[in-house]
Amino acid sequence: MASSDALPGSRRPRPLSPHLSIYRLTMTMAMSIVHRITGVALYFGVLVLAWFLIAASSDASTFAVFSDFIGSFIGRIVLFVLTWALFHHLVGGVRHIIWDAGYGLDAPLRDQMAWATLIGGFALTVIVWIIGLAIR
Amino acid sequence: MGTNEAWLIHLTSLALVPLTISFVWLMLDLLRKDYNGVRVELTHPIPAILLLAFIFAGIVHMELGMRSVIVDYIGGQSRAWALAANTCFAALLALACLYATLRVAFT
Repeated sequence: MASSDALPGSRRPRPLSPHLSIYRLTMTMAMSIVHRITGVALYFGVLVLAWFLIAASSDASTFAVFSDFIGSFIGRIVLFVLTWALFHHLVGGVRHIIWDAGYGLDAPLRDQMAWATLIGGFALTVIVWIIGLAIR
Repeated sequence: MGTNEAWLIHLTSLALVPLTISFVWLMLDLLRKDYNGVRVELTHPIPAILLLAFIFAGIVHMELGMRSVIVDYIGGQSRAWALAANTCFAALLALACLYATLRVAFT
């Protein structure tokens, strides 16, 4: 792990990856970047889930603070962005599972799958929000 | 990343496909409920167990994912601190979520 190269001055700094600026942007590369960004967004988005669960395990007035936030304009935007990040990362993850199994790596199909990730992530987000608003 | 980390991030990603669907399903139901409604829902074993599984697999997955992000972008001494902070953050978050869910489920 990191301890071997953590000694300052003992060796020259090891290279960091990736060197994004020297490559032409492709669809698969763009989706790879978005996959990572949505992953990091979900990393901090779990704080909203933790808040919800802790509020539900406390008293009704504590839960009301969460309820008021998630029902507010800002809260809804946060929830919408997190819904999209979750679905985009989910569909992208399925794409990676398919690639890892050795399928869909050829030139036309890998780009189509990258587009499907982008479209699928938005489509699932909109569908779930329509359902969510309809059943309120 | 080592083979163990790669194995675990793949395993959790596979588990998270059905678990995320069940999580979204549960959240659609919970977010329209009030305080008492949410608490009653989480006393039922199946939603509670699926939520616990989602939290566990999800937080293991995000901890490993952030590890690879840290290793990609941060070098030197700060890398070790970032890796430690990542593990501590994920562990605390997991404990908080699991504790809160179990507390609702058992009361």
